Amino acid sequence: MTIATTVLSVLQVLIFPGTLFLLVLAFFYEWINRKFLARLQNRYGPMYTGPGGILQPFADFLKLLSKEDIMPITADTLLFSLAPVFYSALPLTAMFIVPVASQTGLISFEGDLIFVLFIFTLIVVTIFLSGWCSMTRFSVIGGVRAALQMLGYEIPMALAIVGPAIVAKSLSISGIVEWQQSNNIWNILLQPLGFAILVICLLAELGYVPFDIPEAETEIVAGWQTEYSGRKLALFRLGKDFELVFVSALLVSLFLGGPQQVWIVPSIVTFLIKTVAVVLLLTLLRAVFARFRIDQMISGMWKYLLPLAILQIILIQFGLGGLPL
Amino acid sequence: MGYGSTIKVPFGPQHPALKEPANFIFDVDGDIVVGIKPRIGYNHRGMEKAFELRTYLQNVYLAERICGICSDAHATAYVQGVEELLGAEVPPRAKYIRVIVAELERLHSHSLWVGVAAHEIGFDTLFMYLWRDREAVMNLLELISGNRVHYAMNTIGGVRRDIPADLIPKIKQALDFLEERTKYYLNMVKTEQTILKRTVGVGVLPPKDAVDLCAVGPTLRASGIKNDVRADDPYAAYGEIPFNVITHDQGDVFSRMLVRVEEMLESVNMTRYALDHMPAGMIRVKVPMAVPKGEAVSRVEAPRGELIHYAKSNGTTKLERYKVRSPTLGNIPAVCKTLMGGHLADVPIILAGIDPCFSCMDRMAFVDVKTSKHWVWTTQELKRHTSK
Amino acid sequence: MSMVKEALRQLFKKPATLKYPYERQTVPEGFRGRPVWDMHKCIGCGMCQSVCPSGAVEMIGKGMQAEINHYVDRCVFCAQCAEICPRTAITMSKEYELAGFDRRKMLIEYKRTP
Repeated sequence: MTIATTVLSVLQVLIFPGTLFLLVLAFFYEWINRKFLARLQNRYGPMYTGPGGILQPFADFLKLLSKEDIMPITADTLLFSLAPVFYSALPLTAMFIVPVASQTGLISFEGDLIFVLFIFTLIVVTIFLSGWCSMTRFSVIGGVRAALQMLGYEIPMALAIVGPAIVAKSLSISGIVEWQQSNNIWNILLQPLGFAILVICLLAELGYVPFDIPEAETEIVAGWQTEYSGRKLALFRLGKDFELVFVSALLVSLFLGGPQQVWIVPSIVTFLIKTVAVVLLLTLLRAVFARFRIDQMISGMWKYLLPLAILQIILIQFGLGGLPL
Repeated sequence: MGYGSTIKVPFGPQHPALKEPANFIFDVDGDIVVGIKPRIGYNHRGMEKAFELRTYLQNVYLAERICGICSDAHATAYVQGVEELLGAEVPPRAKYIRVIVAELERLHSHSLWVGVAAHEIGFDTLFMYLWRDREAVMNLLELISGNRVHYAMNTIGGVRRDIPADLIPKIKQALDFLEERTKYYLNMVKTEQTILKRTVGVGVLPPKDAVDLCAVGPTLRASGIKNDVRADDPYAAYGEIPFNVITHDQGDVFSRMLVRVEEMLESVNMTRYALDHMPAGMIRVKVPMAVPKGEAVSRVEAPRGELIHYAKSNGTTKLERYKVRSPTLGNIPAVCKTLMGGHLADVPIILAGIDPCFSCMDRMAFVDVKTSKHWVWTTQELKRHTSK
Repeated sequence: MSMVKEALRQLFKKPATLKYPYERQTVPEGFRGRPVWDMHKCIGCGMCQSVCPSGAVEMIGKGMQAEINHYVDRCVFCAQCAEICPRTAITMSKEYELAGFDRRKMLIEYKRTP
C-alpha cells in the first residue's frame, strides 16, 4: 500500500463514490420521492428552494439542525443520543459494499451479502432501541411495532436476496453484478418473483406505506421518532434517505445488472438511471395503498409472501431461475 | 411494564388523528383496547347563553357558526323553530331552495369525510383527490350564496337569495362532474384491497346496540336501521322530493363509508329534481320582531345525523332559552362501545367513522365531577390565571 | 392496486394547487366580501348597527350627520347590514384579504365629506 493508493482510497471513501457523493444522492433521491409523490397526488411538491425545489431536503435538514433539541426526562441519555448516530451511519456503511461506480464496491468480500442482511437487522434494532429508550407510550409502541414488523419481512427478504446468489454461485454483491454483466442478462428477467418479493420486503424495511406502521402518523403521532427533535431528528431523516439510496442500489445490483458501461455512457450514469427508476417504483407503490394493521401485515407476510419466496427458491433449484442450460 | 399489565394511551386533545379536540384515554393491552374513558368539552363556547343575549335575527348567524361543515343544518333548524313559534308560513320556492343548499352541504360534508377517513388509514392519495373534487361543491356554493362556508342563505321567513335561472346550467354541470367522480370513488372503495382490509369488520355496531345507545345518522343507518328525519318527519320541501334512505346491514366502518358515498349520489339526484321542479314565487315573508310566548322543537337531518333544536320564547325580542342536541353527542356512547376490544390501530378510523364534529357537540355545561368543585371567575381572574 | 391507473394519469394533468398569492381564484358576482358604506346615501337611521350580529358597526351621531365605524376584525360578512339598509347604501365588495396583525388598525371610519 503506497501513499498514493492510501490517499486515493481515503478520497474514494470520503468523496466519490463515498460519503459526500452519497450525501448528495440521499438528498436528491428524497427530492425525487417527494416530487413524484406530489405529482401523483395532483399537487406541486417542493417548488421554491432551488430550481424545482431540488434543495428542499437540504433546507429541511439545515432547519432541523437549528431547532431546539429536547430530551424527555424519562429517556435513557446515552442511548437517546447515540441512536440517531447509529441510524444514519449504518446505511452509509452498507453502501460501501454496493457497487456504485464500478463493478465492485469500495469494500467487497465473499459473504458481504450476509453482512447486508446483518446491517438491516441492526437498523431495526436501532429503531426499536430509539423507541424504547424514549420511554413514552407512543415511542414504545412504535419501537415494538418496528421489531414486530421485522419478524414478518425478514425471512422472505433473506430468501429473495439469496436467489441471485445461488445462480451466481457467489455470496458477494460484486460477484453477483459481475455474473450478470458477463452473462449479459438481468436477474429480474430470470427471477421476477424474487424481485417482486424483495421490493415488498424492502418497502416494509424502509417503512413506507403500506407498511409505515411503526411511524403511523394518525395513530401514534410519530411512533418511534416522536420524542426526537432538532439535530437528532435531522440525523434520523438523513438516515432514512441513506436507507432509500441503499435499498435502491441493492435492488439495482442484485436484479438490474448494477452499474454497467453501456456504449460510451460511464457506469455511474447507468447506476443513477437505474436507481432513479427503482425510487420511482417505490414512490408509486407508496402512493396507491392504504396502511396495513400490524397483525394483518404479519399474517400476510407469513401466509403469502413466505410461501412465494420458498417457491422462488424451489424454481431456481429446478433450473428455472438461472441461465438456460 | 410487566407482562399482562395495560398501558394507558391518551388520544387528544391534541392528536394528529383528531381534527378537533376531545380526549379519549384508552387502556391498551398490547394492541387491543380493553378500556376507554372519553372526555369532551374542550370546544365549549357558551353558545346557548349567547343565543339568549341576541335578537332573533342576529341569532340566525350565531346558529350558523355552531359548526363550519354543517352550518346550514343548524341555521335551518333554528329558523324552522322560530317560524313555528311565529306561526309563519314559508313560501314553497324558499323551501326548495333550502333543500338545494342543504343537499349541496351534505355533498360537501360527506366528501370531506371520506377524504379524512382515507387519511386516517394512511391513504393520502385518495384524501388529496377527494378534497380536490370537493372544491367543485365549494365553488358552486360560493356562486349560489356568496361564501364557501357559512352560506347565510336562511332567514326567518324564507331565504335571502334566489337562485336565478341562468345559474341553473352551471349548477347542473357541476353536479354531473360530481356524480361521475362519486361513482368512481364508490367503485374504488369497493375494490381496493387495502381499504377493505382496514374497514370491513372493524368497529361493528349491532342493530340492537345502535338503537339502545341512541346512535344517529349514517352510523345508525349502517347498522340496518331505516331512520332518516327527511323521510320520517319531512321538513322544508323533502315531502315532495322522492329519494331513497340508504341502509347497509354490516354495521362496520365500511358500511358507514358506503352509506355516505351512496348518500352523496342520492343528494345529487335530489338537487337535480329540486332544480327542475322549483315553483316560482316569493322567497321570503315578512315577520315581526317580537315572538309570542311558546316552545318549539325542530329536527333536521344534518350530514352527521339527527339534529334537534329547542327554542323557548317569552314574548320579547330575545329568546328565553335555547338548547341544541347535535348528532355527534348521540354517537359518542355508540362509538365507545365499538372501540372496546378492537385494535389500537383501528381507533382513528372508528372514531372518524361517526364523523365527529366536536364544535357542534360541546355547548353543554359540564360540572367537574372528579373534584366536585364549581366556581365562578370574573374576566380579570380568568385573564390573570391564563397569563400565569 | 386499483388506483395505479388514476395515479399515473395525474402525472399528465396540471396540478390542482393554486400558487397563491401569485395566482388567485376570481371571486364570483354576489361574493360577500367587506361591506362598503356610501356616505352620500346614508341617512343615519342606525339599522345596520342594531342588526349586526357581532357588533361590528358603530354609528356616531344621528341622522344626516352620522358617521360610521366598521370594525373589520369583528365582522362576520353576513351581509345583514346590506340587506336591511333602507337606502341600499351598503354594498358587499369583493375584498377578502383582510387579515392584519393589530386589531386596533382594523377599523375603517366612514366620515361625512362636506
